[in-house]
Amino acid sequence: MITSSGIPRFGRVSSGKEDWQKIGLVWVLFMVKDDWMTFWIKLFTLAMMGLGLAGCGRDEQLREARRNVVMVEVTSQTWDYRLPWNPGTVSSARGAGFVIEGKRILTNAHVISGARNITVQREADPRKYPGKVLYVAHDCDLALLEVEDPEFFKGTTVLPIGDIPELESVVSVYGFPIGGDRLSVTRGVVSRIDYNSYTHSGRESHLAIQIDAAINPGNSGGPVMQDDKVVGVAFQGFRGDVAQNVGYMIPTPVIRRFLKDVEDGHYDHYVDIAIRWMTLENHAMRKYLKRPDDGLGVVVTDIFSEGSSDGVLKNGDVLLSIDGHPIESDGSVRLEGQPVQMEEIVERKFAGDTVSLEVWRQEKLEKLSLTLRPAEMFSMYESLYEEAPRYVLYGGLVFQPLTANLMAVLMGSADLRLRQTYSMFGQDQLYRETPEPVVLTSILPDPLNVYLRGIAGQVVREINGRKIRTLADVLPALEAGKERTVILFQGDQRPAVLKNREVDKATPRLMAQYGIAEASRTDLGNRRLAKGSFQKADSK
Amino acid sequence: MKNLIRLGTATLLMGSWLWAASIDESRGSLVRVRASIQPYDQFRPWQKKAPFGLNGTGVVLPGGKVLATAALVENRTEVGLERPGSAEKCAAEVEAIDYEANLALLRPTDTKFLLGFAGVKMGPALRAGDTAQVWQLDKNGEMLRNQAEVLSAGVGRYPADEAGFLLYGVRVSLPKRDDSYTLPMMRDGMLVGMMMGYDRDSQEGTVIPVPMIEHFLKDALNGKYEGFPTLGVSWTSLRDPNLREEFRAPKSGGILLTRVNARGTAGRAGLKEGDVLLSVDGFVLDEDGNYQDSLYGPTSVGNLIRTRPIVGSPAKFHFSRDGKEMDLTGTYDRRARDEIAIPTLQFDVAPRYVVIGGLVFQELTGAYLQEWGDKWSERAPQRLVQLFSFQQEMNLDPTKKIVFLSQVLPSSITMGYLQLSGLVLSKFNGQEIDGLKSLALLADGAKEGNLVFEFTDNPGRIVLDAAEVKAMGDKIGKDYGLPALRRL
Repeated sequence: MITSSGIPRFGRVSSGKEDWQKIGLVWVLFMVKDDWMTFWIKLFTLAMMGLGLAGCGRDEQLREARRNVVMVEVTSQTWDYRLPWNPGTVSSARGAGFVIEGKRILTNAHVISGARNITVQREADPRKYPGKVLYVAHDCDLALLEVEDPEFFKGTTVLPIGDIPELESVVSVYGFPIGGDRLSVTRGVVSRIDYNSYTHSGRESHLAIQIDAAINPGNSGGPVMQDDKVVGVAFQGFRGDVAQNVGYMIPTPVIRRFLKDVEDGHYDHYVDIAIRWMTLENHAMRKYLKRPDDGLGVVVTDIFSEGSSDGVLKNGDVLLSIDGHPIESDGSVRLEGQPVQMEEIVERKFAGDTVSLEVWRQEKLEKLSLTLRPAEMFSMYESLYEEAPRYVLYGGLVFQPLTANLMAVLMGSADLRLRQTYSMFGQDQLYRETPEPVVLTSILPDPLNVYLRGIAGQVVREINGRKIRTLADVLPALEAGKERTVILFQGDQRPAVLKNREVDKATPRLMAQYGIAEASRTDLGNRRLAKGSFQKADSK
Repeated sequence: MKNLIRLGTATLLMGSWLWAASIDESRGSLVRVRASIQPYDQFRPWQKKAPFGLNGTGVVLPGGKVLATAALVENRTEVGLERPGSAEKCAAEVEAIDYEANLALLRPTDTKFLLGFAGVKMGPALRAGDTAQVWQLDKNGEMLRNQAEVLSAGVGRYPADEAGFLLYGVRVSLPKRDDSYTLPMMRDGMLVGMMMGYDRDSQEGTVIPVPMIEHFLKDALNGKYEGFPTLGVSWTSLRDPNLREEFRAPKSGGILLTRVNARGTAGRAGLKEGDVLLSVDGFVLDEDGNYQDSLYGPTSVGNLIRTRPIVGSPAKFHFSRDGKEMDLTGTYDRRARDEIAIPTLQFDVAPRYVVIGGLVFQELTGAYLQEWGDKWSERAPQRLVQLFSFQQEMNLDPTKKIVFLSQVLPSSITMGYLQLSGLVLSKFNGQEIDGLKSLALLADGAKEGNLVFEFTDNPGRIVLDAAEVKAMGDKIGKDYGLPALRRL
């Protein structure tokens, strides 16, 4: 399909969070949707494929790839945060994956997110086998699939995982991009090795490798190979009208970390040191902190409560080394001879691991140790995929917790207060008071709420005198109302007042009218929120 | 009602018939106003932006003064008047200006310049359906009279005001003659409004009505200009019976006060958040905040409390609190508008700043935020947006100004700080900062040792060396061509 601007729109443009954060770049995740084939794209990609294959002289690599690269076809369902009670829209897409040790298939999380049906297919075997998600890590966009039928693995070997390739060295990308149904190969060189945002989660940044091989929708999850080893998983890039020949792969340290993490039977989130720091390049600042001009150290400027460093580090601490690696005054450390951000040390660790720090505190050198944990208090910024959206419906008023998904659909219509509640939630540690802000997102018109229309879009402060800190507070607070329910909002918005008897009468009518099966869905599932540091008593 | 309409039509016919005879009179009532505009550059507070010119039409008043819109002369470097049909020019001074009401009173520096001008008298207030003419001066001084119809008369938004004033919406087809649509709207040779905005596509314009102009002139001509009063409240409609019950409002009428500024007219009279305001100065308010205006019919309370009274006149409130009806009296003023920490809109005010060793500090104003463009609330530093937008509910002390680090000029002593901007300064060397003056004073006093700047946001604090800042002296200003290192 050619869009009106004449530019083919590839793959799925991710949630729209980038616009929110004003990154200004348009990312695409490289999955191909069935209906996006066009003759022209096919022709173009076939030509590219021909060129790619002509240049590939590595018979062995190609043979191994043909054995082990699989096509992953997924039918998935995407929740609609505007109508959180609906099961969402169904769509089909295609990506790639490859067989690794243990008869498992590695692919991207975004290929299988929200999957209701997965089939995998090898080049050598025309049959389609049902696949199942074994583990999924949305934060680093990786997933493992299993196939129950042993037939599927007949003739497969294992693609071994290699290391970080050299800059400018040649790599080949395998997958099933638009333009045809057979395996495609493209070649290019390693252009850049750096931190980059992983758009699938919307919140995370990890090491990513930029390559100039053609990567297109359908390449997602496919291996990037050098000699006989996998050096990355193709996963994201820019839309054609933004940048050309810029594709990204997930490098092997991230892949290895994922595979190690799931060894214990479940995937834990990435851990975070949960501080903010400032470079120590100013010499007056160094003098003030009584540090010599040796070009080492950064100063801690913010510690997030409930994070790994809470209670261990202090504002004004100068971090001198991390796990024995000296920290330069710009915050970099040397790892395998390469300068990388000091966070990379933490990136490779797991929940419960420790990290040792040398700290200059009040003119004394101290050795400290941190136990690492995920920064759950920021989970609001993470795009959600599997979890059904949570909500409470009351008299046509729809209450939803503030999430990245909700913000993505509210985008243009969110007022300043709501936007700031979202954007400053982390930096102002609003989670200490309100681990999960609750928003009155919409009002389903009914005679009952005729005078309430127009007040939606506000953050709920109190219901019947009880503070609302998470969605879980809403139902008990509503039940506490006797005759009337009084809902207060942040700011000087008028309160909403409803008569409970009228609401009870209206609820079946509303649910029938709007096709809502459940009046609320509040189960948090596996997700964890910040504990908050408020007095428990005042939520009663 | 029918009689009134018929009467209006009759007057109009008479008016049309009169034109031909009164050309000389109309020529003696308008002057061209030429203003040279040069706003300050809020991002580079030591300089002004590129100048440009604006032309509009001013109305000569009896007594030899000229009425124009504020928008025509705000941020001016110079204003001149020109007689229509001749090149005779005269400089003018702005005697009074009200940015909120968008009106300005100009006085020619040469008292003889307007000799022979009869001046225009104020006409009646108009209603929707009335007709009038929008007058324009042609290049050679000929008068163009464009038939206009009043489409609406009610409280609406003015460009530099947040609450609303009485406003006419008119339909008129205007040929392009000047750079601005500051044009008089006339009827029977009398002024009935000043046009301030026009949309060429819809051919609809906005007009400042005579009651506003009269209020402005009354204030301006008695010496000290005080401006339009304000109540200092936020309110909401009380149509919702559940809300009425919750706040124990009487059977009908009244609005709910959702916020009351303690310094404002209402706050000082004793009104509180949660009160149901039932009538003001004897005018009963309905559930939507409208009173019955003798001319306009149901009209928003905004007109009642802003256009009708002047600063200093007494205010009477009848309201209910917890189900009991009560009365309070007060005095109309502007304190809720004027006594605030962060001024909303400012014109003709030079932005203040202090440069300390390359760190540029400014006082937060609405004008600074507006420099970020239409989407300022998304693009400007969010802490500054928050302080500005929610200053009422955050209860910011109006005597304390918000000082922030707006940018860092790279120099040998600001290395490592170059990325910092939009940070609110809370303390300097341990002392609270309540304005640029106190910062400048403290910085001048610190001759040696550390200069410790503490911010409300990350990175919290940065340090310069006092001796190095002193040694650098004016060099930073010379390097970047700043005319001065401060304006206080």
